[in-house]
Amino acid sequence: MSGYRIILLLSLLLSACTGRQAVPDAMPTCLEELAGHTVAVAGGSSTDLLLSQYEGIDLMRINIGDMPVAVKSGRAEFAMMQEIQYDANQLDAQGFRKCFNGILKGLSAVAFRKDDVGICDEFNSFLREMRASGEYDRWYGNWIHQLDSMVVETEKLPAPTEGRKITVGITLVFPYIFIRNDSLSGMEIDLFNRFCRSKGYCPEYSIVQFPALIPSLNANKIDVILSHIMVTPERARQVLFSDEYMEGSQCCFGLNPEWEKSARAGIWTRTRESTRQNLVEEDRWKLLSGGLAVTLELSLLSLLLAIVLGVLLCYLRMRPKAAASGVTRIFVDVVRGIPVLVILMIMFYVIFAKVHLSGVTVAVFSFGLFYGACFSEVFRTGMLSVDRGQWEAGAAMGLSKMQVFRLIAFPQALKRIVPVFKGDVVSLIKNTSIVGYVAVLDLTSAGDIIRTRTLDAFFPLILVSIIYIILSRLSGGLLDTLDRKLNATK
Amino acid sequence: MISVKHLSKVYRNGDKELTVLRDVNCEIGKGEVIGIIGPSGTGKSTFLRCLNRLEEPSGGRIEIDGVDILDRKADVNLLRRKMGMVFQNFNLFHHLTILDNITLCPRTLLGKSREEAEARAMELLQLVGLYDKAESLPAELSGGQKQRAAIARCLAMDPEIILFDEPTSALDPTMVSEVLVVIRRLAREGMTMAIVSHEMQFVRSVSTRIFFMNEGVIYEEGTPEQIFEHPQRPATVAFINRIRTLEFKLADKHFDLYGMFGQVGVFCNKYGLGNEMLTKVQHVMEEMLFEILPFCGPVTLTLDYSEKDFTLRLQFVQEGCAESVLEQIPNDNIPLKLVRGMCSSLRETEAGKILVEM
Repeated sequence: MSGYRIILLLSLLLSACTGRQAVPDAMPTCLEELAGHTVAVAGGSSTDLLLSQYEGIDLMRINIGDMPVAVKSGRAEFAMMQEIQYDANQLDAQGFRKCFNGILKGLSAVAFRKDDVGICDEFNSFLREMRASGEYDRWYGNWIHQLDSMVVETEKLPAPTEGRKITVGITLVFPYIFIRNDSLSGMEIDLFNRFCRSKGYCPEYSIVQFPALIPSLNANKIDVILSHIMVTPERARQVLFSDEYMEGSQCCFGLNPEWEKSARAGIWTRTRESTRQNLVEEDRWKLLSGGLAVTLELSLLSLLLAIVLGVLLCYLRMRPKAAASGVTRIFVDVVRGIPVLVILMIMFYVIFAKVHLSGVTVAVFSFGLFYGACFSEVFRTGMLSVDRGQWEAGAAMGLSKMQVFRLIAFPQALKRIVPVFKGDVVSLIKNTSIVGYVAVLDLTSAGDIIRTRTLDAFFPLILVSIIYIILSRLSGGLLDTLDRKLNATK
Repeated sequence: MISVKHLSKVYRNGDKELTVLRDVNCEIGKGEVIGIIGPSGTGKSTFLRCLNRLEEPSGGRIEIDGVDILDRKADVNLLRRKMGMVFQNFNLFHHLTILDNITLCPRTLLGKSREEAEARAMELLQLVGLYDKAESLPAELSGGQKQRAAIARCLAMDPEIILFDEPTSALDPTMVSEVLVVIRRLAREGMTMAIVSHEMQFVRSVSTRIFFMNEGVIYEEGTPEQIFEHPQRPATVAFINRIRTLEFKLADKHFDLYGMFGQVGVFCNKYGLGNEMLTKVQHVMEEMLFEILPFCGPVTLTLDYSEKDFTLRLQFVQEGCAESVLEQIPNDNIPLKLVRGMCSSLRETEAGKILVEM
């Protein structure tokens, strides 16, 4: 999501390309034997907590979807994920091998807010009915053994569009929840849709980072956590768990030493295969184009808000009244001193916690605020660069202050503003890539979803990068044209 | 046309106060050309800028055609349309061509059409000799051309009076005359003007009346002839004759002669008086202070140098003298002879006041 993460992933895949593959001499058979090795775990997960208690294990906290790439590139020697995920992703066929399994056997449940007892009871009664009728066994068995037909079935029976509204926080992990043909699918989605149909709910699914699920629930951003979340005593203190509906355990896997790499296909064939897998298959390009639209919408709205706010702040800052100017200065300094990501989090989890606003709206407010503060300084520097004599000459001719501003000061300031402004606009567009943190599905998040599904890091990341470069060049080019037009009249 | 009464302007910065205009009173009639002269920092520009309220006066009244322009209800912008101003630094609008500089305000404020405004602008450019520069940007013009364009810009508003704030101070000496010619032409055509300038010859020849400003007031006013040929008050005389002054006050005989010599050296050097003159002055000072003056009270020594007739005078004032100092000294007194030999004249204007002309 954030820039640092993209860099981390790019370095991962660069090392994958250079082919540094550390095949361990012997596969470990239990947790103790992981000492002295680098092990990838999902950050904040129960595996993370468990392995932290063992000394000598070098933990690497990443997304579950990125684990195969990390192991393949040698960044991590081993990784821990749910057995069911390992099987569903058919990692055996891709050169990996389970070392041992059966770790952290546990039960998953749906989580509600502590005071939402009513809906929790409804869910529990639904589960009991399902188990009694045998529907539960069919559901579980079919998803494990006939995944593709279940996907088709889920598509045929989409989520109800009428009924009581309920916002569901999800994370995308195959095969529980994933996107296929531009729509949500997976065993948990199927289960929850069945629940909604039987109890008259209309679910609205919202993708949230795993560590942000419980805070989002308690901040009223979502009403339910549907994310194969394990029941632990710590979590049970913060949320209300339903009855368990699934059993799971973790396995540890690494590279299979006996795996023989198939002859490498030519670069053209590989590119074509990547394109098919990452874009064509399951209509994944729709994810990207949807993400791009969100990124564009976000950038444009934020830019407009930032300009309006920037002008306002600049005006207040330049008032001769010491109070207005001083307060504005402090405000601008404070806002500019906070990283935009932190502003976004504060807006989402603190300021607008109790108000039901979409992630996009909150993001627009956050970027508008941060860049408004930045722009106000850019505008102010521009205005200060206009010589006092120009104001005086205009005034002496009989022009009003507003007329001098419009006809003389502003056109002159604009020429100094545009080049600096350009850099800020490009930075704004690129910085919108952090909105994945507040469950907005933008271009970067779309790339992430594809990556965690296809387990191919290179193609989605490079493609997303290229799209960002094009966006930056286009917006920069537009402002350059404006700059040239302004300079033509010096 | 313009009547100014008890105008004052005080700048306040924290507890510090700086009085620039103390009490300015004057009348300016239609068709007059007022030359405003005076030493630097005496409020000439501030006075001019108060007239169109670029500076807000601290007190007093300014009436234009009987209307008090300092009144809250006065429409300053309407007032300014009738008063053009030409600045020291031209202040042409950098981002507009010369033509647009001239047409901007007539089109915005007088509602003229583009064609109408441009036709008039071309006439004015013709008048100031910049017909072929209409499409140039200010940055492409020389200083003199910029100032002429600025004058054309003023004229485009058909002002009733033009205020010139040191219009040639920022110019290369070679470009001064091209601007002055234009102003002179306006004067000939009967334009009412107020000109702050250090170009004495020009001010003298173009003005109908001169205001000599000093220490925040109009210290002396009159026709050019009165002010330049027969100035009445001491500061005016000093200014017109361009007299530079250095003064020492000595309480008793124990003064620092070499410190004084140092200051006199700097003074002579500054006005190009040469080493020979400096040596002579130092000798005269030494003989007068050690041998001739009795020091029966404090002594004041003043050096006056006129840049107009290049003469240097030393004046010694011995206080506490009832009778003439020189009469008590015999004529063959050697120090006195020495002094007489070094200067062109030495006389005692009144008891204890000795004037030495070098």
